[in-house]
Amino acid sequence: MENYTRYALKSQQELESLLQQTDDLFVLSCNKCFKAFETVEEPETEELIRLAREQGKTVTGSAAVDFLCNKTQTAKLLSGLIPENTRCILVVSCGLGVQTVAELTDLPVYAACDTLNYTGHHGMALTKKACDACAQCYLTMTGGICPIVDCSKSLVNGQCGGAKNGKCEVDGNKDCAWEKIQQRLAAQGRLSELAAQPVQVRDYSKVNHKLITEYVQAIRQSRLDGYYGGVHPTEHKEYTEHLPLVRFPEPETVVIPMAQHLGAPANPVVSVGDNVTVGQKIGEPSAFISSPVHSSVSGTVIAVEDRPHANRGTCLSVVIRSDGKNTLHESVKPQGTLEELSPEQIVSIVREAGIVGMGGAGFPTAVKLTPKTPVDTILLNGCECEPYLTADHRLMLEYADEVIFGLQAVLKATGAQKGVIVVEDNKPDAIAHLQEKTTALEGIEVCTAKTKYPQGAEKMLIKRVTGRQVPSGGLPADVGVVVCNVSTVKAISDAIQKGMPLVERVVTVTGPYIANPGNFVVKIGTDVQQLVDHCGGITGENVTVKAGGPMMGFVQNTLHTPIMKGSNGIIAVDATVSQENPCIKCGRCVDVCPMELKPLYFAKYADEGNWAGVKEQKVMDCIECRCCEYICSSKIPLVSKIKAGKAAVREMK
Amino acid sequence: MLITELKAKETILSALGSKVFVINCHGCKEIRFPEQEANALQKELSAAGKITGILTTDYICNPENLKLQLDGYAAQIRESDTVLVFSCGVGVQTVAQLLQDKKVCAACDTYALPGYQGVTPLEHDCGQCGQCYLNLTGGICPITACSKSLVNGQCGGAKNGMCEVDPTMQCGWERIYQRLKQLGRLDVLKCPVQLRDYATDERVNKE
Repeated sequence: MENYTRYALKSQQELESLLQQTDDLFVLSCNKCFKAFETVEEPETEELIRLAREQGKTVTGSAAVDFLCNKTQTAKLLSGLIPENTRCILVVSCGLGVQTVAELTDLPVYAACDTLNYTGHHGMALTKKACDACAQCYLTMTGGICPIVDCSKSLVNGQCGGAKNGKCEVDGNKDCAWEKIQQRLAAQGRLSELAAQPVQVRDYSKVNHKLITEYVQAIRQSRLDGYYGGVHPTEHKEYTEHLPLVRFPEPETVVIPMAQHLGAPANPVVSVGDNVTVGQKIGEPSAFISSPVHSSVSGTVIAVEDRPHANRGTCLSVVIRSDGKNTLHESVKPQGTLEELSPEQIVSIVREAGIVGMGGAGFPTAVKLTPKTPVDTILLNGCECEPYLTADHRLMLEYADEVIFGLQAVLKATGAQKGVIVVEDNKPDAIAHLQEKTTALEGIEVCTAKTKYPQGAEKMLIKRVTGRQVPSGGLPADVGVVVCNVSTVKAISDAIQKGMPLVERVVTVTGPYIANPGNFVVKIGTDVQQLVDHCGGITGENVTVKAGGPMMGFVQNTLHTPIMKGSNGIIAVDATVSQENPCIKCGRCVDVCPMELKPLYFAKYADEGNWAGVKEQKVMDCIECRCCEYICSSKIPLVSKIKAGKAAVREMK
Repeated sequence: MLITELKAKETILSALGSKVFVINCHGCKEIRFPEQEANALQKELSAAGKITGILTTDYICNPENLKLQLDGYAAQIRESDTVLVFSCGVGVQTVAQLLQDKKVCAACDTYALPGYQGVTPLEHDCGQCGQCYLNLTGGICPITACSKSLVNGQCGGAKNGMCEVDPTMQCGWERIYQRLKQLGRLDVLKCPVQLRDYATDERVNKE
């Protein structure tokens, strides 16, 4: 692969005169972008240091940095990097890097390089294809061959007449572009089209530098808005956002996995042949980080065995044939008002009701409600930043009172003073509805967050709303915050007000290949295939079904998996076919990583088996939001490499 | 890095035949892609029964991947008489190269973000002039920070520190002066007169 590096060391003469004016210098170099990602060492740095030493200058140190122009990352890196006796910084990078460093430090900053203009190469720099971005694309007329770039004279109205044997008169090695255009159009039988074109006049005024500068600043601002990084995948929420919740028909049998949460799976406490009722406990927690599991139907246990599971392959599950009567268990009765209940009692109800984080992660909520450090703020996550999903959206519209009650319960349980319901601005109806419901309530507010994925990740949400930064390896409680999903607090409300454990949830079934998408209230343990069939089945070929959203959901190889506490959606989307290409160091993954990591190194080091390197790049901080993979111009399956890296790092301990 | 705008609707429609296969590139969407306008137009074409298929993918400038994607749509492409591509010029050319027997049309015009090389719009820009002046200017680029790209100091037209060409913009040379003063390096302004070299030699004009 060609290196697209756009700068080169200044001439020796110029560097010598520059060095004459300085001493005690620090050399800061950029690891270059758009190049084969084989080595991080750049020859220019060594050459510059050698030259400086030859001149008798003191070099206080040197450092090589990735994407020096990335201000957020470079600012973090610079602190503590430059030794105190340094009097100036020499920068080996393009003009962007030099300007960034000059803005970030009080020391004099010198450019050691000239930045070169490689015209025509944009985008990914993976290809030889060039576009001059003339703002008046001629490609329709010219059979897809660019007359601006491919013709030495950038002629837009046909050949100059100077070509000899199809070769350009300016550069004899080059094919005449207009000859190529003529041949391509002749082959397509479109020559008359070309002849019928009016004379083309090229407009050189199209690019307005000021407009572009302002535009770029706006983009940058939105990219850094609230928290660093993130992406904006197409939302596709229009399939289901307007569809009210519908109770899904009673399933004949349910398969209830013992592991629907983070931590240890529950131990089944029923046997084949037992009769069970709705809300009856069928699995006991087996550790501190675990959760009980309850029956969602009344009927008979017909099996206790391994069954397919959405993200674990298989899992020990209790299979119950429903009698259709939905007889309630005797324990299902109201637990009292919030005034009557003590914080400990609320936590106990939440624990006994088997409530776990329903946004997908499945962390036992009772554990969250008993943090080791004091908490002042509860954030209710109503962002639902995953494309396609609208389960939480509908829930906030149709169960607002329950959501608010659940929040009040969490406030009481944790002793926090403030509760904030955070909703993305793509759900204005939910925001208005919740605002109306909460105006009279003290200590509860609704916060509108500008849409950006992965806003719903708790660390991003905390940064966005409170400005607090959860430390590397830390928990939200470390900064005085607990984050709960809106569905989770609705479940807390049911557990207190009705005494009903977590036995059903809201699920969105959607995607371009689902005939009749919808939002359903579904019993835990319902077969996904049934849901899909109820929605008219899957139409089309090459369809991938995922449990969850397109970004973080799990690909389902079989549809005979059960709906679980964390199943917020079943989506049928295009199967992606792609081919992994070598990393080109475009830097996009670094730009979008909300945890401010450098995902390109995860891929490189994982391929090399360099697990120490993966660890050093803080792989354990990765939240697997898949932004890097989404944006990767080389289609590198970064998340699977990251998972491999995490597994290897865990083994190192 | 490129940004795209939709061409005028009449221009696009006049280029189309009766059966159209559409390709959307979302590769640089995080920077700029007229997604809503493109969708609206495609809905319209679809309602008129003109569309044989739509492929929405990313980085269509990556020929190996695009080929894989196109293979899945062979029938719909065969059925069409025109392939309409919503992408920058690089993408259109990649499609045209892979579908040499098809009429391939560009639905977008491509604009450069001059100076913002790299991939994502960052805080600064660089005119890629090939003779970096930043050493003489305290790290503020006179090519891009001055409306007139002056390299030997102010034009004298600034009012209250604002540029006479664009009064909403700070005078680049005033910023340079302030920065140098802050650094105690005003002496560098006494350097010899700078001549800007507009020649495009081998080095700066590599294609």
